[in-house]
Amino acid sequence: MRLWGVVSGVAWRTLKNVITTPSLLLPSLMFPLFFFVAFAGGLSQVQNVPGFDYPNGYTAFQFVFVLLQSAAFGGVFTGFGVARDFEGGFARRLMLASPNRTGIVIGYGLAAILRWCITATLLTVIALASGMKVGGGPVDLIGLYTLALIINICGFFWSAGIAMRLRTLQAGPLMQMPVFLLLFLAPVYVPLALLGGAMHAVAKFNPITYALGTGRGLLAGDATQVGLSFGLALALALVFSVWALRGLRSAEAAG
Amino acid sequence: MTRDNSIVVEKLVREFKKGPRAVDGIDLYVAPGEIYGFLGPNGAGKSTTVLMLTTLLPPTAGSARVGGYDVRTEGPKVRSVIGAALQEAALDPLLTGRDHLKLQTMLQAIPKAERKPRQEELLDRVGLTDAADRKVGGYSGGMKRRLDLALALVHRPTILFLDEPTTGLDPQSRTALWEEVARLAREDKVTVFLTTQYLEEADVLADRVGIIDNGKIVAEGTPTALKEEIGRPSIHVTPCREEDRQRIAELMKQYGEPLGSERELVVRLREGIGLVDVIRAMDADGVVVDDIELRAPTLDDVFLAKTGRTLEGAATGEDGASAR
Repeated sequence: MRLWGVVSGVAWRTLKNVITTPSLLLPSLMFPLFFFVAFAGGLSQVQNVPGFDYPNGYTAFQFVFVLLQSAAFGGVFTGFGVARDFEGGFARRLMLASPNRTGIVIGYGLAAILRWCITATLLTVIALASGMKVGGGPVDLIGLYTLALIINICGFFWSAGIAMRLRTLQAGPLMQMPVFLLLFLAPVYVPLALLGGAMHAVAKFNPITYALGTGRGLLAGDATQVGLSFGLALALALVFSVWALRGLRSAEAAG
Repeated sequence: MTRDNSIVVEKLVREFKKGPRAVDGIDLYVAPGEIYGFLGPNGAGKSTTVLMLTTLLPPTAGSARVGGYDVRTEGPKVRSVIGAALQEAALDPLLTGRDHLKLQTMLQAIPKAERKPRQEELLDRVGLTDAADRKVGGYSGGMKRRLDLALALVHRPTILFLDEPTTGLDPQSRTALWEEVARLAREDKVTVFLTTQYLEEADVLADRVGIIDNGKIVAEGTPTALKEEIGRPSIHVTPCREEDRQRIAELMKQYGEPLGSERELVVRLREGIGLVDVIRAMDADGVVVDDIELRAPTLDDVFLAKTGRTLEGAATGEDGASAR
């Protein structure tokens, strides 16, 4: 009961701030929409390139990337909030009032998920309105959104771990840059088979490549490597959860 | 089972990397229901002690039990019995006062049915009902302090930590806060651990006072006992004519120990000597003075006697102490 009190309290406050403060809400909505419109619209002729074999068209191909990207960055943006709270001193209130401090991290995490749900809903509505073809059934789609949700949690745990270690908003680039690199070193614009040289070699070992491939497969109703993708995503979530909780201990030790 | 709302500290130490010992092996005991004033200049170690006692900072060495629980190993239990209003009120400028109270009731797992009445009761108690729906970013310093106090009281703690609660407040807000703290101790039997750099605050509020300087407790006792310990009263004389200064100083020296002062001539009276003795002697000598005053010892005199500096001088950094 006490743990849930902390979790729900932290999540409520984080969401309230995001929803009632346009400067916090709009970027997390506008960036994915901008990317989706820019990539799916501006690069739509890529689907005519020989070797582009995704059956649901370029809009669906890009939708999966933008969905996963919004999930990852939604988590990272929540990590910014954690850093802001530590820098501004509000985290002390949470640390002082919470019998179970692990609940603070879970509360921020829950807020990251709910915040991303708003973005994902808007993105999905716009993608469907712009004619995105969906081949997968309900189970496939639940799989796609679950995979994105795990990536959202990974992004949050990663950035929260940094935020609680450094306790300053100046750590923002450190939270953002590795996620950005990981996302864009995956097959973003064309399938893996069409990537060449070093980019292909890097993408082959990038866990996001597997998540993207499986996600696109789920949307098309023809998913491959489902176990591997979910396994990798869950393993990353587990590793980053330990990273975040150790970050919390580091913040506790620093006072 | 009776509740244990005492604070017991033994040889508590906190060292920071690349820094001095902020708290250097202090011992103290605060009895249940007592208001304990922790007095010292900036950088003396007051706030670091509070951070350790409220489980926000682990001690480097020593032990502390708050409400019967060990701050090192029973942090969650300590946090369940304490309330704290820290030096820089930890408030979110984007939330309203009511939002803060709602959040606090959630964090403290107050049953849902009790949350609203408790919020209203506390807003009323600290006089913030009218401002409850305004964002805290627009609150004055006094309003923030009052909200911080209300937040600390949400779960009816048995021990309350107040870290310099009136710093920066106007006299009216300061008095109101003093009244509320005194009421909490008197009526609700809350143990209050109060840090301050204001002598008057410690004198008015505290049942007992601990004076900390450079991380060590240099004196402890009731304000009266501390003043009595160092203390006989002193006589402060302002000569009418500058040429009489030396003559008056020589005369006053017969009645007590001279104390340094630029403007006035000051002596701490010897046992059994009163103001009347000094006045009679001056009259007999034909000395004329502008002003003569008998002053009871203050806590600043206690600080001076124990550290060789005045509290005001120490606070402005005359001792070169760094802020901790």
